[in-house]
Amino acid sequence: MEKVGYFCTFTPKELIRAAGFLPVRVLARNDSVSLANTHIQSYCCSQVRGSLERMLNGELRFQGVVFTRSCDSLMRLADIWDRNSEMKVFSMEFPTKIDHRAKEFLIEEFYSLKETLENWSGREIDEKNLSESIRIYSELENLLKKLFEIEPDYHLILNAETETPEEVIRLLRLRFEEIRSKKERKKDDTIKKALVTGSVCPIPEVMELIRDTGFRIIDDLCTGSRFFTTFTKKKIPDTMDELMDFLAEKYLKKAPCPTKNYPEDGRFKYLIEKAEDVDAVIFLLLKFCEPHFFDYPQLKEKFEEMGKKTLLIELEFPISTEQLRTRLEAFYEMLEE
Amino acid sequence: MGKIKKLNSTARMREIMLGYYFQGRQTEINGWVTSGAPVEFLYAMDIYPVYPENHGALIGASKLGTHFSSFAEEKGFSQDLCSYARCDIGSVFAGTSPVGGLPKPDFLFACNNICNTVVKWYEVLSRIFKVPLFILDIPFVRKELKESYVDYVENQLYDFIDFLEKIKGESFDESRFRKVLKLSVEGVESYRDVLHMGRNRPSPLTCFDAFLNMAPIVCLRGTQQPLEFYRSMKEELDERVKRGIAAVDDEKHRLLWDNIPVWYRLRWFSEFFAERRTCMVADTYTNAWTGLIKTGTGDLLGAVAETYIGIYLNIGLEEMAETINKLIDLYDVDGVVIHSNRSCKPYSFGQYEIQKMLSVPSIVVEADMTDQRAFSEAQIEQRLDAFLEILD
Repeated sequence: MEKVGYFCTFTPKELIRAAGFLPVRVLARNDSVSLANTHIQSYCCSQVRGSLERMLNGELRFQGVVFTRSCDSLMRLADIWDRNSEMKVFSMEFPTKIDHRAKEFLIEEFYSLKETLENWSGREIDEKNLSESIRIYSELENLLKKLFEIEPDYHLILNAETETPEEVIRLLRLRFEEIRSKKERKKDDTIKKALVTGSVCPIPEVMELIRDTGFRIIDDLCTGSRFFTTFTKKKIPDTMDELMDFLAEKYLKKAPCPTKNYPEDGRFKYLIEKAEDVDAVIFLLLKFCEPHFFDYPQLKEKFEEMGKKTLLIELEFPISTEQLRTRLEAFYEMLEE
Repeated sequence: MGKIKKLNSTARMREIMLGYYFQGRQTEINGWVTSGAPVEFLYAMDIYPVYPENHGALIGASKLGTHFSSFAEEKGFSQDLCSYARCDIGSVFAGTSPVGGLPKPDFLFACNNICNTVVKWYEVLSRIFKVPLFILDIPFVRKELKESYVDYVENQLYDFIDFLEKIKGESFDESRFRKVLKLSVEGVESYRDVLHMGRNRPSPLTCFDAFLNMAPIVCLRGTQQPLEFYRSMKEELDERVKRGIAAVDDEKHRLLWDNIPVWYRLRWFSEFFAERRTCMVADTYTNAWTGLIKTGTGDLLGAVAETYIGIYLNIGLEEMAETINKLIDLYDVDGVVIHSNRSCKPYSFGQYEIQKMLSVPSIVVEADMTDQRAFSEAQIEQRLDAFLEILD
């Protein structure tokens, strides 16, 4: 199956799949960059620089790439990508302001994306393949949600972002069988719950380090629960217009991202609620990520008012795990005191 | 030694801006707005606009960027964030600034046609001041402008009018708005005429003069003041041309500046280039304020929407390069100095690609618009000298 890459979780991968492509999320590796240095400055985040590096070194074989409006760095990356690769590039707008005007505008954008994808593949997106695509992704998302409630798995979520949903659903089912066959797990009082909130972190080792330190992770990452969390419960409809409406609603009601503006400070409210019964909050932010770093000081203040201790980890790839381990252990010990 | 020839207009500009800041303390209602926002709506309703970005530039030019940033950094705002935002938020925490701080806002108005940074920055402000925030969400136009984009923005402009009417408790007067728009267009025209004086050989002004004198078109656009100010500034420049006075003696090279100026080093750059008989005749930053609103036709808000969508930073790299190439021709320059500005990602990312599309040689220097810590004098001097050598 031909692949189409995308960056932002607000990209309707259902449309990409309905056009006959495998949607694959473009993520950086835990490496330093060299080729990308002559195309983008060093004060750009590792996700953007690392993804560009992977394209430049020929690692990515995609028919095309979809850029969805989110942050300034990705907005400019689209042109840099377009000028330096043979891939087709499409930029889709996503409203920054999530209000009553957003849906109509977003549906228009979805229709443009649909038309573009049909041109790329030569296959029509119809009611049948689109509703099937919506169905399979919602099955995948529900399973991931269930798994993350028990225990986040950052290898499986990477699979979910880059492989066919059928395959990942199979893996998820196996995992649930494993979990069921295990004996009732003992409650461990020394385990502390930490809300881990932040941007892209496609490196499972980092998450394992947090867990090994003794934390149970409540996830709010772009490469974690924000990939699959949405707050719609409607039935999948029949006509194309209804399907597009359904999709627009699904993406507008996704778990909040700091690149969007929500009424009533929606993201803060969402996170405050999520943090209610955790012992600590870990901010896992990519260095130079403006949307997250603007929210950080005031969010931190809110959490501290709730009596939570917080830790800020700034990520730049490649990551030194030793240093990270030391900081996490020190933080854990501080919580014990 | 290259002497800087000061324009008398700059002293007049300072008076105007002093008056502007002074007025801010006396007005009943004020809104903090971003530099790319349609301020005409505010002036049409007698609402005083406050410009945190201009305030940031002012703090930077006073060489206090690092100082005021530190107040924000102490509260956890990262040093990697936009330094205008850090200066502004920092001066709020400090409770002062070179102009005694800005008046507390009654509302906030952020338009993301210049960057997404302003959305986040204004969210921070709205939490500090607990006042309403209106976001005018502008789609980015990487390739072609779609009708749905104009409709989306136009609809929001209606929402914004409702928002202002509630704040002010008065209804919006369209004929008043048209008058303000007319003044805005005329102000922009007179400003453009000033910038175009740089086309003279030798040029009677440098882009550093343009930077120093840009505040009125940003802050007072839509009032009578820019019109009068830029007309008199143009007269002063005409006089220079008539008397054969060049901004830089024995002008040898003519250059174009890209990006926001390095505010705390304006004088340093002026002297540096003057010493080397090089005139920085124009720049992409001030030229970004020369887009005219087409007010002729019936659909007024549609025209306003289209103008504010089409601004320089809200377009793709190819169109940006095309715009720069037009400026290169218009001002007849030999090269471009590109400021890679750590504070401004949408303005800086893509500069390496733009370089490849330009019709004249260019050089990238890395710095920051207001934070002195990001400025390495020796390195920049060396790079610029090497570049000028190529042009010789």
